[in-house]
Amino acid sequence: MQFFQFTEEQEMLRKAVREFVETEIAPHAAKWDEEDHFPAELLPALGELGVCGIFVPEEYGGAGMGYIERAICLEEIARHSAGLAIAIMTHHLGMSAILDAGSEEQKQKYLPDCCAGKKLAGLATTEPGGGSDYTGQKATAKLEDGFWIINGRKCFITNHQADVNVVTAVNGQDEKGRNMITTFIIEKGTPGFNTGRHENKLGLRGSITGDTIMDDVKVPEANVLGKVGAGVKIGMAAIGEVGRAGMSAICVGILRGCVEEAVKFANERILYGKPIAKLQAIQFEVANIRTDYEAAKYLTYAAFAKKDAKIPATTDFALAKYFSSEAAVRSSKRCMDLMGGYGVINEYPVGRFLRDALASIPSGGTSHIQQLIIAGSTLADFKA
Amino acid sequence: MKKKIWVFAEQVKCGLDPVVFELLTKAGELAAELGGETEVGAVLLGDGVEPFCGQLAEQGAEVVYLADDPALGLYNPMLYAPLIVELAKKEQPEIFLFGATAIGSQLGPTVAAGLATGVAAHCVDMRINSDKLLVADVPSFGGKILGEILCPDNRPQMASVKPGIFVQGPARPQPLNVVKMDLSLLPRNELPLKALSLEKKEVEGVPLEKADIVFCGGYGLGSKENWDKLVKLAAIFGGAAACTRPAVDEGWSGGEHLMVGTSGKSIRPKVYVGFGISGATHHICGMKDSGLIISVNKDENAPVFEVSDVAVTMDLNKVLDGMLARFN
Amino acid sequence: MALNIVVCIKPVPDPAYYDKVSIDPVTKRITREGIPTIINPVDKNAIEAALQLKTTYGGKVTVVTMAPPNATENLREALAMGADEGILLSDRAFGGADTLATSYTLAKGIEKLDAFDIVFCGAESADGATAQVSSQLGEWLGVPHLWNVFAMEAPEEKRLRVKTKIENGAMEWEIKTPCLLAVAREINKPRFISAMGIIKAKNKPISTWGKNDLLVEDSHLGLDGSPTKAGGVFTPDLKRKGEVLKGDPEQIVEELLQRLRAGGISIDLDGSCEWGGGK
Repeated sequence: MQFFQFTEEQEMLRKAVREFVETEIAPHAAKWDEEDHFPAELLPALGELGVCGIFVPEEYGGAGMGYIERAICLEEIARHSAGLAIAIMTHHLGMSAILDAGSEEQKQKYLPDCCAGKKLAGLATTEPGGGSDYTGQKATAKLEDGFWIINGRKCFITNHQADVNVVTAVNGQDEKGRNMITTFIIEKGTPGFNTGRHENKLGLRGSITGDTIMDDVKVPEANVLGKVGAGVKIGMAAIGEVGRAGMSAICVGILRGCVEEAVKFANERILYGKPIAKLQAIQFEVANIRTDYEAAKYLTYAAFAKKDAKIPATTDFALAKYFSSEAAVRSSKRCMDLMGGYGVINEYPVGRFLRDALASIPSGGTSHIQQLIIAGSTLADFKA
Repeated sequence: MKKKIWVFAEQVKCGLDPVVFELLTKAGELAAELGGETEVGAVLLGDGVEPFCGQLAEQGAEVVYLADDPALGLYNPMLYAPLIVELAKKEQPEIFLFGATAIGSQLGPTVAAGLATGVAAHCVDMRINSDKLLVADVPSFGGKILGEILCPDNRPQMASVKPGIFVQGPARPQPLNVVKMDLSLLPRNELPLKALSLEKKEVEGVPLEKADIVFCGGYGLGSKENWDKLVKLAAIFGGAAACTRPAVDEGWSGGEHLMVGTSGKSIRPKVYVGFGISGATHHICGMKDSGLIISVNKDENAPVFEVSDVAVTMDLNKVLDGMLARFN
Repeated sequence: MALNIVVCIKPVPDPAYYDKVSIDPVTKRITREGIPTIINPVDKNAIEAALQLKTTYGGKVTVVTMAPPNATENLREALAMGADEGILLSDRAFGGADTLATSYTLAKGIEKLDAFDIVFCGAESADGATAQVSSQLGEWLGVPHLWNVFAMEAPEEKRLRVKTKIENGAMEWEIKTPCLLAVAREINKPRFISAMGIIKAKNKPISTWGKNDLLVEDSHLGLDGSPTKAGGVFTPDLKRKGEVLKGDPEQIVEELLQRLRAGGISIDLDGSCEWGGGK
């Protein structure tokens, strides 16, 4: 094994995204959180920066970089605004489904505008009945006279206001009676396709999450993404290796925020004539936070590296996401403890970090789901 | 031969720049330190500027080198620099000082290149050492570090000084002695650089450099409304309002001409009151010579308190509103 | 119809960290450890100005810096912004240069390139902030030059109208190419580097030229070519007593007014006459 090192281009990308984030995002992050405002106005700039289509090949208007670069972008955005980061992460989610399963026409039609930040993408699979019971979904799709008629309700959909929506629905049952699921691309404004309630979330605010309602939505067959009945594979791949992966990178960003805020506060806060950084009790907390950050970073980027190498990485992303999101929760709590009363004052971002970290846990699969995936592969792989 | 210390007598439209008088005072001090027969001279170029010669002599210029020509009406480095370079080659001054104004900041190094000599830029202090050399203290890293700059082998030893760094001393009248520069050196052909116009805004209220009391706002001001309050306060006290770089960038203050710091103005009012200023070195460098420094910042760890005489660790809104209410 | 544009940049320690710059008490050298090196901020405005002109008229933007070898990183960043080629002037013999020697070396580097139409520089560097290199570079190159340019129009390819900042005002100029313009930060907002730019930059050429690659006279280089010499360095002691005022806002205001009076500001505290009205 060689030592862990980003390439010169990756370092340059990190610096470039950081510069953008520090000037265009960081100053507004608290306000977006407070007002639950999604800064749609920033999308074109993020498109120009290459963040929107970072992993999309150049022929579809993307930057032509890989998934490690995607993680870098998400980490840097999440360092100051995990709320915006999950919106971008979900934008990627919709795009990745089109990129991986779409026809050439579909890629040409949708990806360039999404890469440019002219259009926002999203992915809607979860239903009130639950997100993890993937095949148990209730939305239906019927083929009538060469058009698909789709009905149903999706919930907890981040970017439910998106322009380009990748949506799953049940189109029938196979010979064993199992639901067959098909993925569709539905554009905003299609008659019958509407946004429902807007959830008031604890954290990751500034990304819009809510219901997507489909009431006799009629789309041509050309809107089927991949093959009819291939929806399980397409959706699970996107969620497992793009959505879950993105959440992991976002949590690494939150963790870096914890490290930086903890160090800043520990050095600036003077107690009994010296900075509290000199106190061992504080140093223990700093060490714990740093360890969480480093471990999360290594797990996350190692999984992304596998994905770039086209090696299946479902378990790796489950490990990374499980660890990073739980670490982000405990480290932001530690950071608050370290700050004493200041920790709960909203002028400091740490309270927001904690809320964002907590809200990260159900996104892309709860910790329990990750544990099931990890346990499943462990019990199989470590059998003597 | 007499040693010569020169000052570039910058003028635009409305008269000589105040920095010229500050430099003439300093030149007089340096002449005394150099000892022997040292003569202070002023170099004046322009159109219809001959009347200024008297003011220069009044402030200590024993010689005024004058180039008065319609072509020199507007500053143009391609006209000014060659005349000054030729004059300096002929007269061999020991020291040559420029104001680090917009014009001086360009003309100084341009002349220095023509004379293949060095310029100590933006000096905050200068003196003559035991080797009779000019030693200039020059700030770097936003004023965090001061370094001594010498120019031992080349002449003249040049330096530029920002307005407000030195204080204009009492008049030191000299007999008027005007030496006209050789205008035959003035290029008369069409130049690739033409000055078309010069515009100056009239400064409203008391100019920042002349105010006895300056109310200065930083990033902590937080809004344009608070800046307007500062302006109001300044008007009540007959002083001036000023700002830091972040307050300019946020678009709260009137503009960069009100900015105090290494890339802005150096001020030394009797009293400086800072609101919401953290104390970046760049800013401190521009206000450190104020008589009394009062800082208002709710962050009790703000570095600005280290360089303040009086610290108020309170929400600046309360102090601002309290001050205004006191006079309402 | 195309412009050959050169931009001079300087890698500087990031100004956000200047509070951390100090002098080593033993070696008396300036320590700037741990402070990242970035492109001098206003030099990015110079790059942006060049890129905008290139967009209008076509042509080529070459970025030149005189710096230690690791400055290729900063050049690469300029290329990622959109410049076409980078030139690093690097040689031990260039070390210790003051503004005259620096501008001489830059001039010799630029003269080795194809004839230029415009050279852009930032008006001053964040670290040394002498603001002298651009004017002296213009002199070495023998072209008209302006400093502190905050607005620029190029009505024709070979003729520009520019405005320079002066105290409380502006001067307007007409300048013909070839020329040199040192820009102020107000001139534009530098673009952010994009992922696409980074990928393109990977294959753009960066050349490193030492003393032997240039037609230079040794006596003009580095420390030997520098008329100014550095003496001692020190950190100014600006400490004041920082007496903290206590009390509620009214008490603080009263206390402040007393301080102002003690500081030499005459104020009428008893309110016997109206402010703003004639006494």
